[in-house]
Amino acid sequence: MNSGEPIIQIKDVHKHFGRVHALRGVSLDVRKGEVVVIIGPSGSGKSTLLRCINRLEEYDAGNIVVDGISLDNAKNINIVRQEIGMVFQSFNLFAHLTVLKNLVLTQRVVRKRSNEESERIALELLNKVGIPDKAEAFPIQLSGGQQQRVAIARALAMNPKIMLFDEPTSALDPEMIKEVLDVMLDLAKEGMTMVVVSHEMGFARAAADRMILVDEGQIVEEAVPDKFFASTNERTKLFLSKVLHM
Amino acid sequence: MVLVIILIVVLCVVSADPFWNMLRFVSDGILITVIITVSSFVLVLVLGLFGGLGRLSQNRFIYALATVYVEIVRGIPLLVQLIWWYYAFPAVIKEVGNSLGIQVLADYQANPIAMAIVGMTVCYGAYMSEIYRAGIQSIPRGQMEAARSLGMTRFQAMRHIILPQAIRVVLPPVGNEFIALLKDSSLVSVVAVTDLTRRGREYMSTHFNPIETWTMVALVYLVMTLLSARGVAWIEKRSKFER
Repeated sequence: MNSGEPIIQIKDVHKHFGRVHALRGVSLDVRKGEVVVIIGPSGSGKSTLLRCINRLEEYDAGNIVVDGISLDNAKNINIVRQEIGMVFQSFNLFAHLTVLKNLVLTQRVVRKRSNEESERIALELLNKVGIPDKAEAFPIQLSGGQQQRVAIARALAMNPKIMLFDEPTSALDPEMIKEVLDVMLDLAKEGMTMVVVSHEMGFARAAADRMILVDEGQIVEEAVPDKFFASTNERTKLFLSKVLHM
Repeated sequence: MVLVIILIVVLCVVSADPFWNMLRFVSDGILITVIITVSSFVLVLVLGLFGGLGRLSQNRFIYALATVYVEIVRGIPLLVQLIWWYYAFPAVIKEVGNSLGIQVLADYQANPIAMAIVGMTVCYGAYMSEIYRAGIQSIPRGQMEAARSLGMTRFQAMRHIILPQAIRVVLPPVGNEFIALLKDSSLVSVVAVTDLTRRGREYMSTHFNPIETWTMVALVYLVMTLLSARGVAWIEKRSKFER
């Protein structure tokens, strides 16, 4: 998918955490409907980059434009965030609410939808992620894989234009990883714009339009999966040899 | 608790002269103690919430204000604070009224019960602020991030996500504060409030029977605190059930 206008434009972004220079001039465009998979060693800045896209982290220099709105002067970041769904490594379901209410609450509070409409959308999405029978359960009663699928449904309930995934399967048992990846694969097929930080190379091969290796706060290599896996870049080869042997 | 109540009943039946008479004499004091405790506590819950949120505020001015409040109040004995509110505060108001020529302020007369409630509230509000702050901080950061990533404002996330969870965490310490406040309310007896303790002293000074009077006062406090503890346990159990 090489056509389509960029929906995310990242230009020369820098981010410092105290003395640590976490992002050192990252530039990246993501087109509408594109699936970008970001890999890199821990501490490389890949999660920080992802979190900058919905301003959970504020960058120090450069600029990010999401769907035509520059995050520099976004007066209301919440408007931008409504269009960006985010899925976290640790699920972050609201612990005091049932699965159904996890999906309903934000629709009502942020989208101002009626209770009936919110519940209808919620149940549709729970069906889509394969756990319609868990609507009345509390998050702690679910397995990790189920929780992560609920988290994806919760983000989708806001009808986002973009979905960000921050190591969505890293906290899961091996047999639960597939059920989450399957949901993500379906999303990719439907044409959702996705930026995924993950070391699931199977998913990357199947769904990614582009792969990116980030190391020491910089983009080392950027290529379509076929080229990426056959890379001649030493750094990429070294990293791939590690993740592919996992 | 049942044992304590039985003991009181037995004492009143067996020897109605000082015990039953004394209990009737201090009954209005019991009411005052309950009024001061309950109304202070309700105000403390509100003040503590503002204080706790202030201590977590990203606004430096609000943070500084809340911090100064908590530190000042925690560093001064409650008894001294109560005395200050009853004797010094009205004098300050009068001074201000006189110097500005505002007659209403110059004629200000402190109501002992009102000042006692103010004193208890200001003091316990500071401790409650710290309880709320700790409760809010105990909620994992991811909860706030998830709420914000879905487009909620900070306020919406606080109200719908963080506070409902924090309240469950702080319930046990808040219950303890209620009981502590009930007991500390006996200090208001030194600032002209006719609470249970003061009525006890008045009874003793006319009947000269310290053993009976103060035993009875102690037992009445004990019944009230045990009752409160039961109430707190009941509320905790109910809020767990909802989970």
